[in-house]
Amino acid sequence: MATQPASIERAPRPARLPRAAVPGWRREQQRSFALGLIPALLVLVAITLGPTIYLIITSLTPLDPVHPHSATDFSDPAGNYRALIADARFLNSLWVQMKLSVATVAAQLAIGLGVALLLNAGSRFLEAVRTAFILPMVLPPIVVAVVWKVIFTPDVSPVHRMLAAIGLPVHSLIADPAMALWAIAVADTWEWFPFTMLMALAALQMIPGEPIDAARIDGAGRLALFRYILFPYLRPTLVVAGLFRLIDSIKAFPLIYVLTNGGPGTATEVTNYYAFVESFNFSYWGYGSAIATLMVAGVLLLSWIIGHLGQGAERDE
Amino acid sequence: MAVLGRRLRRRQFLQAGAATAGALILPGRAPAQAGSKPLSGITLNIACWSSPYAKLLSDYVPQFQEATGAKVNYETPSFPIYNQRTDVELSTGGSSYDVLNVTFIYIGRWIGAGWFVPLDGYLKDPQKTPADWEPDDFLPGATAAFKNPAGRLYAIPWTADIYMGGAARYDLFEKAGKPMPDTFDELADTMKAVHMKDGVPGFLPENHYGWSFIPFLQGYGGNVFRDPPEDLTPVLDTPEAIAAAEFFAKLLHDYGPDGAISYTYEQVVATLKAGRANYSPNGQIFLVQMGAKDSKVANTCNFSMCPAGPKGRFPGVATHGWGIPTGSKNKDAAWQFITWALSKPLIRQMVAERGYSSITRRSLIDSPEFKGKLTVNGHDIVKIYLDTIELGTRGYMKYRTIYVYPQVDKQIDIAIQNIASGQMSAAQAMRQAQQNSLAELQRAGIKL
Amino acid sequence: MNSERMVVHGAAALLLVVVLFPALWMLQLSFRAGGDIFDLSFVFTPTLDNYRVLWTGLFPSSFGNSVVVSLAATALSLLFGVPAAYALSRCRFKARRPIALWILATRMAPPVAFTIPFFLAYRFLGLIDSLAGLVVIYLTFNLALVVWLMRNFFDGVPRALEEAAWIDGCGVWSGFRLIALPLAAPGLVATGVLCFILSWNDFFYALILTRTKAMTAPVAIVNFMQYEGWEWGKIAAGGTLVMLPVVVFSTLVRRYLVGGLTAGGVKE
Repeated sequence: MATQPASIERAPRPARLPRAAVPGWRREQQRSFALGLIPALLVLVAITLGPTIYLIITSLTPLDPVHPHSATDFSDPAGNYRALIADARFLNSLWVQMKLSVATVAAQLAIGLGVALLLNAGSRFLEAVRTAFILPMVLPPIVVAVVWKVIFTPDVSPVHRMLAAIGLPVHSLIADPAMALWAIAVADTWEWFPFTMLMALAALQMIPGEPIDAARIDGAGRLALFRYILFPYLRPTLVVAGLFRLIDSIKAFPLIYVLTNGGPGTATEVTNYYAFVESFNFSYWGYGSAIATLMVAGVLLLSWIIGHLGQGAERDE
Repeated sequence: MAVLGRRLRRRQFLQAGAATAGALILPGRAPAQAGSKPLSGITLNIACWSSPYAKLLSDYVPQFQEATGAKVNYETPSFPIYNQRTDVELSTGGSSYDVLNVTFIYIGRWIGAGWFVPLDGYLKDPQKTPADWEPDDFLPGATAAFKNPAGRLYAIPWTADIYMGGAARYDLFEKAGKPMPDTFDELADTMKAVHMKDGVPGFLPENHYGWSFIPFLQGYGGNVFRDPPEDLTPVLDTPEAIAAAEFFAKLLHDYGPDGAISYTYEQVVATLKAGRANYSPNGQIFLVQMGAKDSKVANTCNFSMCPAGPKGRFPGVATHGWGIPTGSKNKDAAWQFITWALSKPLIRQMVAERGYSSITRRSLIDSPEFKGKLTVNGHDIVKIYLDTIELGTRGYMKYRTIYVYPQVDKQIDIAIQNIASGQMSAAQAMRQAQQNSLAELQRAGIKL
Repeated sequence: MNSERMVVHGAAALLLVVVLFPALWMLQLSFRAGGDIFDLSFVFTPTLDNYRVLWTGLFPSSFGNSVVVSLAATALSLLFGVPAAYALSRCRFKARRPIALWILATRMAPPVAFTIPFFLAYRFLGLIDSLAGLVVIYLTFNLALVVWLMRNFFDGVPRALEEAAWIDGCGVWSGFRLIALPLAAPGLVATGVLCFILSWNDFFYALILTRTKAMTAPVAIVNFMQYEGWEWGKIAAGGTLVMLPVVVFSTLVRRYLVGGLTAGGVKE
């Protein structure tokens, strides 16, 4: 190496040679991308692989910390799963979960999008107001739960009292088996619509100006503008937002814990809550792990399906 | 992340090494010299939920540190936080704590699973327990809860919460010509007479029915398990149990406020204090709040024993006590703390200075200083307290010491809610509770 | 146009009041003295007692912990997640969709599932009751969020500009820094705000994995739900204080959430 003349080492690259003409450009690019992607993957593997393996292994045992030997009892690996299929309470929780998830995700998408559209016009007032609207999402969920518990308690709730004052008395919703779940849905939507609103707003602001100007010049009305210009741009964002709300709705906890405790009876006992009760109140860790594993599998499947449907309109494919 | 762990572990090794060396070199662990304190160099980690007693005790902990040279980390998180944390800690075999409160709803689980140290050895050892500490001074009804079926003691009670009846608006009772109800029939009768008088609903128990319904269950001659601890077969679908459930749920439905089944114990207390509900069968810790300074019903409240059913009177007794987790590395020092905290001189000092303390020692309850403290609105709670504790010794509270009770507890909650909200009849709901309880016990590996 | 604007403003204002009602009601609760918490009277003597009492005790330190943990968790998630999102958006390779789906899957497990293994692991590593421990476990739900949201926003920025730059000899990450990132700025801000909020509001993991040193604000608030009665005034005051930093944070970055249909376009 040391005998090479300096002139060769210093040979400059041709000035305007296009990248594409340099051999191995694509591979180099791939390597650059990998450099950006791999650290995140490594971190995720490090912090989720272990717990996930632990979860699956535990679901194959009747683990109950009160009986230490049950941690390695693999005599009946499918036992928990068999019991789950026959468990009426588990099946009920799936149905309740489905109702809650569908209702809240749909409501949050609709309301979030609606508010985002309303607030998107450029005006100082609306800009100021935008920040205020994220307030419900910003409150700690436990505080939200407590506030709504009071709102749903007829004895002390300002809302109930106002309704009674104008002659429309409403009975306690959270003690009514038919209404309790919808009461929770209302509180949940109030708490999380800012998520979809924020996403929709950001997406709206990234829409290029020309298609809109062009459409306006062509005389497009508000509805047509939305349907043919805005919505196609928004759709991928809404799918992602909906997906995230779906995943998070399955983890819903504080509202149910404070408002109804899964009741009346089991009318609001969603699957996650049932898993919590089994794991933390009765320490059936094995059984709780089996429920959690099934939940993750179910959500994964659902996400895969939705992802396929939603990305049908992917632009660069 | 792995690097972080390695660094920490190395740090821990270094720390452990330094500590060992220090212990060997420094005179702290040497034979007791004049002036050195018995527990110096030891750190005790202690936790209890934030009851008034526990918070009061924290003011006296410096006294203990001063006398023994131990360092004490004393924390009092709120009830749900304490229980959740402690349960995770104990169930994973941790050794972060030396003295812990044994919460009454977890007695069955924590003691039944062997997560606390039996204390009989300490009590019998004159070196560890001074003779004038008088362990027999503690109310037997209170200590009974912390004994396992074989009779070994696992915690020393610092409180016994008794189930009794309280009325926030006794003036409405008087207007209707009714005394405090003593039987279930009288209760139904009185509720009918005072419900919604002056806009106040008549009946409001807390929605933890696995606690507030059981006296009614047993009063009708029913029970939770057939014969705990030997026979753990649930008996929730007997005719007596169904009758009791129907009676209780009817009271709730007919005489409770709107949404009564959603009222937790904190809500019940707040509602009673605001005078927005009248009669509540509940724990004494809650009911005496009606006499507090900020209570609107301080002048109209009254108290009575838990009402009796056709088959007798079975008021619940909920005890909390100090125990030593098996993972503790300083068990002897922990025991010293417990003997100090529940010693007669300290308790008397607390009562004298702050008007309150642990009230599980008979000698304290009999003392003149204390007599006046348990009187609310002119009504003497002490007699109710002692009579109820006495009843508790009959052993009907054994169902609470069974470690699988929480599962059955939840089924009872669900059943009463189903009946009171009109989703099921009493027979249907209790039968479902019975079947689900059987399934739960099976899942817990119990052979019936 | 003016009357239309007024209608829009009016609707927005009305919606704001309805939406904010529970929060506003909680705010006024925090200024009421203990006894008359539920009186419906509009006139009452406001008191700062609830706030004053809050500031003694564990609350201030828990507040500080929340700030540190949330900022750190957000920063780390963005640091790892944004480049990964860009790679997923721009690079076409076969395993793209499965990998993206797997990333999403990492945040699907309910907290119940992860608490015990993390508790055991942290006990072994000495990370119980530590801020670092919380930051790490928060990555389990924040990283996937950042990757998916930012990938979506990057997808919304047409490749054309970067492709042109690449052909001109610009490196992948220079293109990212100079072209894609500025154009996806509103998305970046929204994502950062969301990360911060989700970390700030976590309750379950903080409950199980901290004791006193690393206690965060949501756990501290539950401490006011005493056994003998919820201290409404303190809960309301605590809730108000806890939401302030996030509101401030969002206000500071709102400039990037701002802009009408006329801004931020890609001129072809």
